[in-house]
Amino acid sequence: MSTAVSSPEGPAGAPPPEELPRAYHFDLGQVVRALGDVRTLVRFRVSGIAPASRRRLMVAAAGVGLLTLLIAFVPAQVPGAGAGASARANDVLLLLPAAYLGVLLVALVTAAASGGGRELVPRDLAVAFPVSPTADHLGALIMAPLNIAWILQTWTVLGLTAYALGPGQGLLGNIGMVAAQLLVLTWVLTATAIAQVLAWALEWVRRGPTGVWILRGLMLLSVAAGAALVASGSVTDVLDRSPTVGVAVGVTQGADGAWLGWMVTFTRILVLGAVATAFGAFVARLALRRAPRDEAGLESRRFAPRRTPASDVVALVRIDRATVWRSVPLRRGLTVLAVLPGLVALAGGIGWDVLPILPGLVCAGGALLFGINTWCLDGRGALWRESLPVSPGLGFAVRSWVLFEVLVVAEVTTVAIAVWRAGTPTTAMVAAMLVLLVVLPMQVVAASMQWSGRRPFAVDLRSARATPAPPALMVAYSARLALATTLTGVLISTGAFLGAWSFPVVMGVPFALFAARRWVAARDAWLDREARVEVVRVVSG
Amino acid sequence: MTASPPPPRLAEGEPLVHVRDLAVHFDGVAAVTQVDLEAYAGQGLALLGRNGAGKSTTMRVLAGVVPATGGLVRVAGADPRLQPMVVKRAIGYCPDVGGLVPRATPWEHLQLSARLRRLRDWEDRGRELLERFDLGDAMHRVTAGFSHGMGRRLSVALAALHDPMVLLLDEPFDGVDPTGVEATLEVIADARARGAAVLVSTHLRDLALEGCDEALVLRGGQVVASLTSDQLRGEEGAGVYRGLLT
Repeated sequence: MSTAVSSPEGPAGAPPPEELPRAYHFDLGQVVRALGDVRTLVRFRVSGIAPASRRRLMVAAAGVGLLTLLIAFVPAQVPGAGAGASARANDVLLLLPAAYLGVLLVALVTAAASGGGRELVPRDLAVAFPVSPTADHLGALIMAPLNIAWILQTWTVLGLTAYALGPGQGLLGNIGMVAAQLLVLTWVLTATAIAQVLAWALEWVRRGPTGVWILRGLMLLSVAAGAALVASGSVTDVLDRSPTVGVAVGVTQGADGAWLGWMVTFTRILVLGAVATAFGAFVARLALRRAPRDEAGLESRRFAPRRTPASDVVALVRIDRATVWRSVPLRRGLTVLAVLPGLVALAGGIGWDVLPILPGLVCAGGALLFGINTWCLDGRGALWRESLPVSPGLGFAVRSWVLFEVLVVAEVTTVAIAVWRAGTPTTAMVAAMLVLLVVLPMQVVAASMQWSGRRPFAVDLRSARATPAPPALMVAYSARLALATTLTGVLISTGAFLGAWSFPVVMGVPFALFAARRWVAARDAWLDREARVEVVRVVSG
Repeated sequence: MTASPPPPRLAEGEPLVHVRDLAVHFDGVAAVTQVDLEAYAGQGLALLGRNGAGKSTTMRVLAGVVPATGGLVRVAGADPRLQPMVVKRAIGYCPDVGGLVPRATPWEHLQLSARLRRLRDWEDRGRELLERFDLGDAMHRVTAGFSHGMGRRLSVALAALHDPMVLLLDEPFDGVDPTGVEATLEVIADARARGAAVLVSTHLRDLALEGCDEALVLRGGQVVASLTSDQLRGEEGAGVYRGLLT
């Protein structure tokens, strides 16, 4: 995002000056300027939102806030809540450090996969403005919560904490619960800041000489270390030594009214968050001084010519596949999406009862990489493509197919990794999984094609930090996709527990028919010339 | 190279591009109103005007990309609204904004165009065009890494690949180096020589006059003057042109 020469810290991506150290001194004035820049950028971003959309956003934000409050306090009131009240609540209490660690991991993966976090203002828009790396870093921190994975993870730890602690007794007990949840929320924000530092550091490595290979090596090492932990049965021992145990202790101290202990933990987390935020600006500056090598590498690479396609379909499929697989962020996002959930399932030894949830989440994630605004892949070439003598229906079908196959590749990879420790499935479970592997991408493709036609955006997906739609809309899309696919996964897999393999197959039919109907409606809308022209006009900028 | 199927037969002397009272509205806002134009086989017609004059919208209508809100439009004898495929086969279009798929190579662009237009043995012609526009070394690199000028040159090459009956070039000289300008003027001259109608939309009067012998000046979505290239040449022509723009 930062490229302008007039930035007080120098532009991101510019060659390093002769004397670097001076730029790394902590400068309060620089931070104040960056904060002012961030405020201006937020205003600039908000000014681009139509009044009606702004009102919807306010309502949605209020809804999320209310839901967060409910999640933070209602589980404490359910029967069995409180570590002393039930064995399950006790187990949840023991799991809290792992859940808090999960917040950090999710934030890290999200920020690292997006090349250092999302941009407050897209690179192509921000290029003319003097946005410093510090402002860029602070912007990425502000954008981090606008992510369904972050929101869900926050809700999970708040809910688990409330359930593990149980109802407070009297006024002091209720104040204790508020203090405990305040600590959890502070940890979530601090974990986000720490993850941002690590993500910038990884981005710095990735942009360096042979950085991509170093990162691949690091990933392999992490996988090997995880596998060794699982194989030696020492996952629990390691989690017991997690630094987040201290957070859990502080949380219980807050709930018990041990204020001194709570205050010490709270202060430590707060200071850690402040240090991480400041240090993040330093690492961001280092990372953004380097040019993104894989983007540049891809753009200067020579792609061997292939024979002229034998049919229109092959020609269109080929060019659509190229637009997906030659995009750095899409390729990286799809790899992470296909591999990571499988590895987590493998490490956790997730069984066939939970496995059917995975393909839905992977499909939803895949669509969020580009599917929800699929026509933006053509960029300014959309106008030229529209002038070619080919039926728009064929173009629509091909784009849908390419999205479908991308999602299938991702979900099959995930499942192929996850099944190794899932145990032996019944025939009905296998049938349910096969149905899901077809129905879920159908659902997601239908929704994506509909949304792509209704809400197009001109987005350049060259940068790993770009998103196919504005952040708030991304959250809304991801919530809808995750909800729909998870429900479908749960319902169809329930059929497998009824015994016969035919149950999940029969249950999958209405879902497939509904998805097909939605896809046809989206196609009809695309065939309407006026509507198509509007999409082409928007995505071609 | 085998060209696309011929468009509907045109009567002798009938224009390849025929537009009467063209109107285009976007969300109720008029982008073009009352545009009349005709372009005949072998003719080069320039659409001149400032930014936002309606040149690109007119070109998009002729390319079958944007539907007209009103008026009569015939390209190679076909109505773009009713026979979009006939029009798209007859035209070669270089859009004003980029017009390239970012992660496809020039060669893949040519392949797609050739396949959809049922061209055979087009490879030599494709290579020759890329070489002419100095893109031979970049023909297998994705266009996302291209400079603006390279993108413009490739867009013109793509528009010319199938020797279209109507060549529509929207801002073909924008940011293009002298070699590219020369190649573009050659493409225009070749097209006119083989009997195609060429429409060039630009705000660069001098270059337009090198490729075209007539010009329409647009302002505020309307045609304000129809002039020959001679009337627009030199200092006097520049004065006339400036006067028409404001």
